[in-house]
Amino acid sequence: MTNGWVDIKNADMILVMGGNPAENHPCGFKWVIEAKRNRNAKLIVVDPRFTRTASVSDFFAQIRVGTDIAFLGGLIRYLIENQRYNKEYLVNFTNAGFIVDKEFKLPEDEGVFSGFDEKSLSYNRATWNYEGSGGKPAAAKPGQPAGLPGLPERVDFDPTLQNPRCVFQLLKAHYSRYTPEMVERVTGIPREKYLQACDLFTSIRKDGDTKKVATVIYALGWTQHSFGTQNIRTAAMIQLLMGNVGRAGGGVNALRGHSNIQGATDMAGIFDNLPGYLKVPIPADGSFEGWMKRITPTPSKPGDWASFNYWSNTPKFAVSLMKAFYGDAATKQNEWAYDYLPKVDRNYSWVNIWDNMYNGVVKGLFAFGMNGVMIGPDSNKNIDALKKADWVVVGEIYPDETSEFWRSPGITQEEMKKIQTTVYRLPCAGFAEKDGSFTNSARWLQWKNAALPIPPGCRSDQGIVAQIFLKTRELYQKEGGKFPDPILKLTWAYTNPSDPSLAEVLKEINGKTFADAEDPATKQQIKAGQQVPSFAWLKDDGTTSSGNWIYCGAYTEAGNLTMRRDPADPSGLGVHPNWAWSWPVNRRVLYNRASCNVDGKPWDATRKQVWWNEGTQKWAGVDVPDFKADSHPKDHMGPFIMNPEGVGRIFGPLGAFADGPFPTFYEPVESPVENNLLHPKQRHSPVVRRYKTPDDKYGSVKDGYTVICTTYRLTEHYHYWTKNNPMNVQLVPEPFVEISEEMAAEMGLQGGERIKVSSARGAYIAKAMVTKRIKAMTIDGKKTYQIGIPIHWGYRGIAEDEGKTAKTPVNLLSPTVVDPNAYTPEFKGFLVKVEKA
Amino acid sequence: MSQATLRIQKISAHSGTVPGEDTQRQYQVCKLVDTTTCIGCKACEVACVEWNDMPFSPTAFGNTYQTMPETRWNYWNLILFNEHEREDGTLQWLMRKHQCMHCAEPGCLEACPADGAIVQYTNGIVDFQQANCIGCGYCITGCPFNIPKFNNVTKRMYKCSLCADRVSEGLEPACIKSCPTGCLHFGSKDDMTELAGIRAKQLRDHYGYDKAGVYDPPGVGGTGVIYVLHDATQPELYGGLPSNPSIPLAVKFWKHPLKWLGNIAMVGGLIGLFVHYLKFGPKAREEADLAPKGGA
Amino acid sequence: MKPRGMIGYHPEQIIPHDHILRYSFKERMNHWIAAGSFIYLMLTGLAFWTPWLFWIATMLGGAELSRMLHPWIGLVFFVSVCYMFTLWASQMNFEPVDKEWWNSLGHYIRNQDDQMPPAGRYNAGQKLLFWSFFIGGLLLLASGLVLWFTESIPWNLRWLRYLAVIVHAGTALLTIGNFMIHVYMGVFAERGAFGSVIRGDVSLAFAKRYHPGWYKEIVGETETQK
Repeated sequence: MTNGWVDIKNADMILVMGGNPAENHPCGFKWVIEAKRNRNAKLIVVDPRFTRTASVSDFFAQIRVGTDIAFLGGLIRYLIENQRYNKEYLVNFTNAGFIVDKEFKLPEDEGVFSGFDEKSLSYNRATWNYEGSGGKPAAAKPGQPAGLPGLPERVDFDPTLQNPRCVFQLLKAHYSRYTPEMVERVTGIPREKYLQACDLFTSIRKDGDTKKVATVIYALGWTQHSFGTQNIRTAAMIQLLMGNVGRAGGGVNALRGHSNIQGATDMAGIFDNLPGYLKVPIPADGSFEGWMKRITPTPSKPGDWASFNYWSNTPKFAVSLMKAFYGDAATKQNEWAYDYLPKVDRNYSWVNIWDNMYNGVVKGLFAFGMNGVMIGPDSNKNIDALKKADWVVVGEIYPDETSEFWRSPGITQEEMKKIQTTVYRLPCAGFAEKDGSFTNSARWLQWKNAALPIPPGCRSDQGIVAQIFLKTRELYQKEGGKFPDPILKLTWAYTNPSDPSLAEVLKEINGKTFADAEDPATKQQIKAGQQVPSFAWLKDDGTTSSGNWIYCGAYTEAGNLTMRRDPADPSGLGVHPNWAWSWPVNRRVLYNRASCNVDGKPWDATRKQVWWNEGTQKWAGVDVPDFKADSHPKDHMGPFIMNPEGVGRIFGPLGAFADGPFPTFYEPVESPVENNLLHPKQRHSPVVRRYKTPDDKYGSVKDGYTVICTTYRLTEHYHYWTKNNPMNVQLVPEPFVEISEEMAAEMGLQGGERIKVSSARGAYIAKAMVTKRIKAMTIDGKKTYQIGIPIHWGYRGIAEDEGKTAKTPVNLLSPTVVDPNAYTPEFKGFLVKVEKA
Repeated sequence: MSQATLRIQKISAHSGTVPGEDTQRQYQVCKLVDTTTCIGCKACEVACVEWNDMPFSPTAFGNTYQTMPETRWNYWNLILFNEHEREDGTLQWLMRKHQCMHCAEPGCLEACPADGAIVQYTNGIVDFQQANCIGCGYCITGCPFNIPKFNNVTKRMYKCSLCADRVSEGLEPACIKSCPTGCLHFGSKDDMTELAGIRAKQLRDHYGYDKAGVYDPPGVGGTGVIYVLHDATQPELYGGLPSNPSIPLAVKFWKHPLKWLGNIAMVGGLIGLFVHYLKFGPKAREEADLAPKGGA
Repeated sequence: MKPRGMIGYHPEQIIPHDHILRYSFKERMNHWIAAGSFIYLMLTGLAFWTPWLFWIATMLGGAELSRMLHPWIGLVFFVSVCYMFTLWASQMNFEPVDKEWWNSLGHYIRNQDDQMPPAGRYNAGQKLLFWSFFIGGLLLLASGLVLWFTESIPWNLRWLRYLAVIVHAGTALLTIGNFMIHVYMGVFAERGAFGSVIRGDVSLAFAKRYHPGWYKEIVGETETQK
């Protein structure tokens, strides 16, 4: 979230799309209700189903699965045509006026941007750049060829936005084909209804109003597509166009699917990141310096503007991270132990791990806090992959589908005997038996205490990991090895090395200083050995450590700030500065400089977050200003300080995205529509690859897979876990498939009858829930059915063990296809056929 | 809520005076359920089961998100889900938290034949005292909302107690505590009525629900649970909420005119027979008297 | 052999000491089963009827027990009434004389029995009592079943419950009324009647006085006597 849960209460307009917060985030959803109750805010819900969120909405439109970019692209077209954007914001705080490379070409009918290489199914993104002068070679992602030209240091710029090569004009041209008529044909939302939605959402900028704010809330309904990243970008662009980013009640807000997913991401949950979103070293970097050179950006902006370019501090964060890892063993002489770090040579994302296991490359798997068989796409492939593994270690509180993959439905006694995989099941502690911090969607680190002791025979996760580490280290100590140093020299200074306290770990993550230091501006001093107060104190000379620079400030000399529980909110804006701790530096709304106009005055005086104080010549505010504190508005420093441009990117230049600088509508990989109506010559995303194992099959209308299927969660259950809990089982006892009344009538089906849903990969059997909440749609003139299946059931659980359900995991159906940027699988839209079972 | 000993202002089938009548300054408590902000998350259902420590019972798929068709003796709080297509073709998915309404004039208490099995405290909470319950089920007949439920093992009736135990300690009921959206409120009847009125007005003024209103049916003297409805003219849409509930006529007739008629008739009959004996005596004093006069 | 000219003759029913066997053992037993169960039903029913009489249930072992037994005893009563039906229904048809008898009820009440038309084995009042208990039994059973399994009645059939409470209470009141008269008549008003359901016999005089028609059937009646 750029903003936070509580902040939603400041919104005047709320768009929920690709998410269902009322069902999946009911506690956070209270703030939507607060906005409605206290500000008369309007809630727009666009979803393939009439969800519980839709039930309290003011406007609902049923959309075809996977056509969000068509919807949002049309919305961009609408808001430009009707001048529902914030011009001052757009010109000064975004790259709308930046001139784009002459060679850059929009996809138009071809459906691909300039630079597409059909052989490698990837783009040479050299032309996705600004016109200008100066610059250095740009950053490359792992696996991408390095040596792209960099962003120009001085960017050509047209503040009138009239130049036909400026971002704004290109944007206008790109989405000019996303007309309401086309949107209707693609998404299935009738033109009139669509225009109502556009008008309602953009009404906050009617007649040049810049006071009101709209927020966009999304979740996995946007991310889990082969164009998931671009779904979200479209929303970000809309929010930039309307000037809603950085403002209380605005922003682009991802609702995380678990209590600590934000924390997992922050702490390098993804293979191409190190903690704090530092990019991992790749073999081509060669040295620490080479690595730093590649990942440290330089400013790129119109000549007379300023850019903070905060990532220029990358070396400070990286050196401090290495000091946290290796302590005294990381020295300037040994390049801060750069050699100890693994260099990431290819894509190690989730789906690839399983693909590699299937292909015999990955031999073993540790599965902690997740049910690997169930959470990936194509469960059969995952089960087949585990059959080929040598071993799997599962840390869980219940026997789950992963630890019992060998008895998944369809495996015969004979086959079972042939499975040679050794399964180690480690009884873990449940969430209520552990302390530690959760980082929520709002980036708040909140400490929780253990409510119960860990049951006898079970261990905490960190205890298990620590003991594995200590044993491994012992082996290296005894037997040596090819390269023992990265293990032997790892810092492990915990009071209880075999079960480190998580408070100590958080303290370590925050980091400390090894030498006395003084802030030249404030004259504040810290002593050697003290906790670092914030990442502004981090140094690249080895005198500081920090396990994650963005968490720097969570555990200072003042103690564990994540434990703070002061509900006071003096501003009334939901800042709650002394409740828990929010990264970065306890800031609640990111980019909050943009809540003021160019002159540093809040767009809306009733929602003052930060402002320029002429008297002190500093930025002040009720929130921590996300800005250089003494940068005078005259300097025209951009509010988006993490971008080298200093402004928000409506155009995503160079290596930012694998599939295009502007989001473009493509059909999901499995789609009932044969042509991409908006870009006729390119049906699917051109850079999306299909996997090649025998288990990877893809269905099409020709093979009889005509029904669109989407998957989701229910309020009553939590993933594949709560089917073990009688209360949850009582609430929703068994799996079901939601289908429309029209489809049921056509099939002669009554609610409660069992149906079989099959995709090219597998079949799922459950009872039909016949409902008015999913309707048949007209897509490009053709009647199309959508169905939906909640994901929560498998072959282990109370009802499953009693033989009361069909025991089929829903991801038997979903295809192995991933987003090219985030590598998230396309769980949300694929093709099936439906018959009575 | 003030902390106060629960005292009884109404008591079922009691032949004497009511112990708590006018003995407290207690005000009537009330739950406000704003159906327009209910998201059907069932937190209240879970909180109810957990707080009251009720055993689980099996449920079955019923082509709906609703947990079970109606409340059970061990499931006092149930969100009713109803899909409703409006005339303009738009869909409403109405969710209503269904539980005991804590009527000011409770039909269950009216119908109950067991002394002290059903009581109404001075704060308005209608509570079943299972120790006194005889399991006759007349409360089912008396209730216009289908609330009291029978336990076949204990042979007693159960229903929502409005967490009388919590309320007497100054806490809100468990369902209120658990509600994530603030759709549930708890306070004095006056405050809740005011709050509901404000919300209904907001719905009319800003959200286009011209018929939004508050459900506080006068037929049962008003209720300790009031609803804000999108369309107060059609409460039936919300899982059969009766539009004008009252204690069933049959129960009223049974418990009032018929009862007095019957009592008078029975006492009158006894007196009549006694008087008859006084006046006419037995048809024959001795067996011998039976012989026909004049003899044969 | 029946003497010529006699309209009825059943000397086998005449037992020593000038008595007639009015009720067989089966009939007496059944009567007391019905009576006992009815009394229990009435007492427990009255306990549930009004708080003033709730103490009765306490006296009878507590209201819960009463609630539990009442329907079962109700079944006993009903079975007993059904048996009564098989025993007596054929004798309970209303005949012309019953109408006459009914019209002379005032005399009956005033103990002017000699002015009553000759009743048969059962007079019209007794027949009415019989039918009121039989039909009442049916109604009480039907409504009682609804009340017994009241929690199983679906909500959309709730009118059944409403009907049941009225029918059960109303019928109970009527049968109680009849019961009171029956007891009064049997115990206080008609000397000898009580004995008939205990020992089974009545004196010839009793029969002749209260049930002349029946008396004639038993002892026979010659043309001359008529």
